[in-house]
Order: sequence, then C-alpha cells, then structure tokens
Amino acid sequence: MTPFLDLIDLDVAYPPRRVVSEVSLQMPCAGIGCLLGPSGCGKTTLLRAIAGFEPLQRGSIRLEGVELSRPGWTLPPEQRRIGLMFQDLALFPHLTVADNVGFGLRGWKTRERQARILELLRLVGLDDEARRYPHQLSGGQQQRVALARALAPRPRLLLLDEPFSSLDVTLREDLAREVRGILLREGTGGLLVSHDQFEAFAFADEIGVLHEGRLRQWDSAYHLYHRPADRFVADFIGQGVLLPGWIEAGGRVKTELGELDGAPLSGVAPGDAVEILVRPDDVIHDDASPLRAEVVERAFRGAEFLYTLKLPSGARLLCLAPSHHNHAPGQAIGIRLDIDHRVMFRRETLIA
Amino acid sequence: MPAKRRSPQWPWQGLLVLILIGLAAGLWFATQRIHYEWRWSRVPQYFLYHDEASQTAPVAGVVLAINPSGADSRIELQPEGGGQPVAVTVETDTLKVKPGDAVAEDQDLGAVRSWKIGPLTWGLWVTIWISFVSGLIGMVIGLITGLCRLSPNPTLRGLAILYIELIRGTPLLVQIFIFYFFIGTVLNLDRTVAGIGALALFVGAYVAEIIRAGIQSIPRGQSEAARSLGMSATETMIYIVLPQAFKRVLPPLAGQFISLIKDSSLVSVIAITDLTKSGREIITSSFATFEIWFTVALLYLVVTSILSQVLFWLERRFARSD
Repeated sequence: MTPFLDLIDLDVAYPPRRVVSEVSLQMPCAGIGCLLGPSGCGKTTLLRAIAGFEPLQRGSIRLEGVELSRPGWTLPPEQRRIGLMFQDLALFPHLTVADNVGFGLRGWKTRERQARILELLRLVGLDDEARRYPHQLSGGQQQRVALARALAPRPRLLLLDEPFSSLDVTLREDLAREVRGILLREGTGGLLVSHDQFEAFAFADEIGVLHEGRLRQWDSAYHLYHRPADRFVADFIGQGVLLPGWIEAGGRVKTELGELDGAPLSGVAPGDAVEILVRPDDVIHDDASPLRAEVVERAFRGAEFLYTLKLPSGARLLCLAPSHHNHAPGQAIGIRLDIDHRVMFRRETLIA
Repeated sequence: MPAKRRSPQWPWQGLLVLILIGLAAGLWFATQRIHYEWRWSRVPQYFLYHDEASQTAPVAGVVLAINPSGADSRIELQPEGGGQPVAVTVETDTLKVKPGDAVAEDQDLGAVRSWKIGPLTWGLWVTIWISFVSGLIGMVIGLITGLCRLSPNPTLRGLAILYIELIRGTPLLVQIFIFYFFIGTVLNLDRTVAGIGALALFVGAYVAEIIRAGIQSIPRGQSEAARSLGMSATETMIYIVLPQAFKRVLPPLAGQFISLIKDSSLVSVIAITDLTKSGREIITSSFATFEIWFTVALLYLVVTSILSQVLFWLERRFARSD
C-alpha cells in the first residue's frame, strides 16, 4: 500500500547552507503528525518544502503516491492540494470572513460555494461573524478563520506552522485539540510544526524530533518519552537526567543508586561506561529507603513537587513527589528508583 | 499620575505672527530700496482678457442702415458696384459709422469683444496635462520595472536595475536635453512628446522603487496563503499582493507625483510653453517680473495642494476599508 505522505531522503538548502539533511519519514495514513524541534532545526524549512515553496536538493516528496517534488522540479503550490495555516495567519485583510473562507473555492458553483463556506464557519463556530473583517475578530477567532479557509478546498494535507503560538496557553491547548478533531472529521491529514512538546503531544499521533536539520526520531509521543533514540531526544523531550553507570557481567548496570535490570544495550561489554536516563517519575520518594539525597531546589506544581536532588557523588536527580511530601532545601530525603523503561547511552567522555 | 500642565500656547503663536510680519516688512523694504514699482493690476489680464476684434468692411460702399439688436448692431452695406447688401455685426458702443456714410474696403466699422484665455491659464493647463500624461505613463513604466526588479529572471532584474540607476543617477535637466536633442532627433519626435517621454522615464524609475518596496512590505505569508489556496503566482500578484501594496505606497506615490508637477517646469528649456515658460514670456512684455514669478509660484502651489488633498482623501478612504 502506498503511504499517505512519503518523504524520501530529503535535502533542502539555502545555498550554500544545508538546512535539512537526509530526512526520511512516512505517514502511512492521513493521520496527524508533528515536526518538533528547537528553533533553527529546519522544521519550518521542511514544511515549506512539502508545501512547494522550497526546491529540493535531493530526495523526493510524495503524497498519496504522487510525486510532488524532486531535485530540479517542484509542483507549484497551487496544484498540490496542500493547505497551509501560518503562525501569522495571513488572513486577507481586505476580504470579509466569508470571502476569506471562500477564497480557495473560486471556480465552484455559487450555491455549492456558499454551502461550503457556511459548513466550515459552522464547523469552527463562526457562522455569525461571516460579514465581519479579520481585524474585527479576536486572536482565537482569526485562528479559526485561517483554519476554515485552509480546509475549504478540501486539501489532502494541512500544514500548520506554529499556528497556536500567538495564543495564551489555555486557549492554545483547547484549540489544538479542537483543530485535531476537525481534521479527523474532515479526513484531512495534518502536519504541525512546533517547538512546544506539550502542543505536539496534544495534537499529534506521531512526532518527529528534528535537530540541526536531521530527523532524530519519528515515533509516538509515548515512545519519544520512554524510548528516545538518542541523547538529544532524551534531553529534548520531557525532563530527566543522565546518571553515570557501568555495565557489569550479565548485562546488569551498576549505578550510584544500585544495580538496574533490563534489556542489555547492544554492543556494550562489561566494564563499559554508560549513562542511564532517569526521568523525574522514575525516582520515588520513599522515607523507608536507605538511599538518601539532599534537596537542592523544589518547584511547586500543584499536585506535585519537582525536587532537584543532589547525590553524595555530586550527581543531580529530579524527583516528582506528591505535594504533601513537603521538604525544605537542605533536607535529606529517602528515594528509590523504579525504572520501567531502561534507556542507556554509551558515555562519550569518561569522567576521570 | 497628575495631568501634565500644558504651557500656554499663545506666546508662541504671537511670536509666529511677529516673525511673519517681520518677513513681510523685510520684503517691502527690500523692494523699496530698489525702487520697485508693484503693478499687480497687470497680472489678471494674463489669465483672461477681453479681446477686441475690429470688424472691417468687406467691400467699399455705403452704409444703408444700422439695425440695433441687443448690445450689437447690424450694419448693412450697399456695395459700390451694386449687388446684394452685405451685413457686418459689431457691438453698438464700438460703432464707428453712421447710416449714409461711405466706407472704403477694409475700413474699421467697429469691434466685437470676446473673452480670451490668457497665457498664464494656458501655461497652467499645459503643465497639468503634461504632468498628468507623463505621470500616467510613468506609473505604467514604474509598475512593470518594479515587477521586473523583483523577478527571479536575472535578465529582467538586470535591465530594471540598470534603468533605475541610470535615471536616478543623472539630473532630470540633462535627461530632458538628451531626450530632446538625441532621441528626439533620431526618432523625429515632437518637442511635447520628447518632454513627456523624458518626464515619464524619470518618474517611472522612482515609481519602480516605490512599488518594489511596497510589494516587499507585504508579508510573504499573504502570497503563500493565496498560492496554497489554488492561485497561480500571477493571479496572486494581481489579486492579493498589488492591492495591498498599492494602499501602502499611496503616500510616497503622492509625494512623487507632486514632485513631478514641479519638475515638469524643466521642460520649458525645450520650448514647451508650460506655466514656467509662459511666465518668462509674459515678463518680457509686461516687465512685471516679481509679480509674475510670485503668481507662477502660487499657481504651482495651488495645483500641488489640490493634488495632495485628493490623495490624502483617497488614502483615508482606503485606510477605512481594512
């Protein structure tokens, strides 16, 4: 079966600088994906290449088996059936809300056009605002108009370039969920670009982490968090620290906090130095535990405290503890490790 | 925070009035020193004058009768050699013959008066239409050049840059001479065509830069949104980018067209009788040098002020629509 969206070994450059290198990913069906990464990682460039605004230096972009881009040839954006929703929305200031939404429906019969405009305005809850101009609407409403406009011509894929980042946090997550629902109902695939992992988690089924123009991992949020492919993903997604350890005979790992079981890391031999990813939720506050650590900092999170702990060796740990365990900095508390998913990386520089 | 106390305005306004009075007095004393005699009464006739055209007898003969009709009188002449009587109409108060008088051929019988447009009005009209036509052509040249300037095609871009730099780097007066004496001679152009051509090319280069800046000021997202919604690059430019850009460049364009009206005075050097040339010609016959130049300046001021008001109104009208 041909995948819905297929990116094959893409290079995109603003000569002489290569911005996206060797990116390959597949969305098997019209689901919702996200390209996540810090600013300057090439995620927007990748999105613009998919939209048809940037030529490819190498590779191929296919949507439902049809090639859209290859080096030296780019199907014009208007022929791709790919919708766009921007960070700055780019609503047409001289057109009313209805005309903005109907903009991509030129060539439709008037009655069908009107019906489609009304359908979309209902979908985004703006059917009363059809006659108004974009500047008369609130930020969230403008966002909805931009969504309706992009969806009106029934694109196969909708590309969203940080469209929620100008909204406040609560509205952002609500709208991200709402847009997700609308995309699924319309049967339109979605690809979001974001630097905010929580937005990505709320919006996407599959997330690709980009760093310095390379796709580090394309996976579900759960796997990115619990099975990061490399050190960058481990560090970028969620919180956590890398605790030094050593491989012992039988694949066990010795650390300052005791020995850990689990699947052995391939290609390591006993005696090798490694680092174990320890998430805050892997560290359990347990007064009965013989392991002690000193509280260095604490951050109140409502239901929980996030403690920064110092081990006797000087290594730091993060610990998420229910907020009735209130300890002041300087106190020593008992902890134990409860790691379900053991993630290890070979240590790159040995600590003398 | 307490409201900031506004210092009173009237002392400064008073000072302004004093300075203006001082300037006027200075002007008066200066003209007194050179014993200049102001003859403002000579000026109006150059706008509009009452022309007296004397009517002469077409044939030699005798005045048969004079029939007054309104302010005019109809003189009936019986030609000397016989035949049908001939009629000549003159205004009654200029009548110089009586019934029964014998008149020679071409003898002055009286006059007919009519209002004629004077050279200042005529010059003003020439200035306005030359500016208008060259502005219109310049706008088209500027739009095309501005688009070429932004084209990805290096040939178009290179040509546009060359043209803009050539025009902006040389004086308009020199361009007018080159256009008239060189291009005009080669292509056998009329002086008016040469003048309009030079002005249009001149203003086109500036308009091109204004349009380019305007197009570049429209966020890229606008055209990309239009492209992703199915518009081609050309349609996007026409329906999305240019209307928004035009709204933004209206103030600098207005400034450019006002400059054009003033710059058009330079075409007087190739003997196009515009407002400036008319002024110079009138001075040679009226000797009212100061009055005419002041009047000419005032006329330019009136035209440019009206234009700037119209464009200001247009600008506000556009601003309301978004």
